[in-house]
Amino acid sequence: MNNQPLSPAAAADDWLDTVLHADGREHRAAYLDDAGFTARVMTALPAPAAMPAWRKPALALLWAVAGIAVALALPATLVDVAHDVLRLLVGQRVSLAGIAAGVVALGSATWLAAALALRED
Amino acid sequence: MAESSLTDAELIARVVVQDDRHAFSELVRRHQSAVRATLRRLTAGNHALADDIAQETFMLAFRNLRSFRQESKFSTWLYRIATNAYLADARRRKEELLGDRDAGVADDEGGDVPSAETGGPDPARAATLSLDMDRALAVLSEGERAAIVQCYHNDLSHEEAAQVLNCPVGTVKTHILRAKQKLRSRLAAWKPH
Repeated sequence: MNNQPLSPAAAADDWLDTVLHADGREHRAAYLDDAGFTARVMTALPAPAAMPAWRKPALALLWAVAGIAVALALPATLVDVAHDVLRLLVGQRVSLAGIAAGVVALGSATWLAAALALRED
Repeated sequence: MAESSLTDAELIARVVVQDDRHAFSELVRRHQSAVRATLRRLTAGNHALADDIAQETFMLAFRNLRSFRQESKFSTWLYRIATNAYLADARRRKEELLGDRDAGVADDEGGDVPSAETGGPDPARAATLSLDMDRALAVLSEGERAAIVQCYHNDLSHEEAAQVLNCPVGTVKTHILRAKQKLRSRLAAWKPH
């Protein structure tokens, strides 16, 4: 304890302070072996909250529906974007290596997205 | 990174954000000795009861970890939970506990007493003192015992003990004074002649 004695009466109890401090020191120095205590605590903890099995398919379906809904709601925009992209691609000279790189990039992105969507929690 | 190399704050963050059970088990492993030792003192040497309350303490800590604001040390927060759990349990068991311990203390009065000196790392003396201390602490009220344990056993200042016990500093000082008045006669055998 770091505080000063409280009163003259308390100061007269030096021996009691010594005894209490000696006992406290002994107890702080003694390490209690775990002896399975941590394992018991961990067993007693509530189970981790698991996501329901239907969550991922439902989410995927929801995203698909949302995508289709957007595509249907903005048909003219989509067609314009598709035309512009096609025009860009046609207007450029694309090498075989470029096409291969594009396919690899697209494949990697698809694989990554699938892995993220289907990963275990 | 291995859990054992992380600080308490980092482990707590892992538990709160990722529900990382390994991180929590490392926290339990780190603090179990101090919490169980404190509770053994508070329960005046009842190891089984102390371990039950210690388990409850860590369960409560796990459930309430999000509310830990890191304004105090994690160990101080654990002491607070442990002390509250002990006091709640003591209220439930009050009559039974007081009856048992009063009988135990009365039986031991007048028995063999150790010599009065307290210096020197003698295991037998330390064990005897520990037993005498358990018996002496048993006559204190829960509040007095908690104040003595926090200030002497856990070496907290009055201010820190007040934080743990959730009471004003003045109350801690009063508990200590009253406890010492009672302990003076119970531990008289340890007074140097």
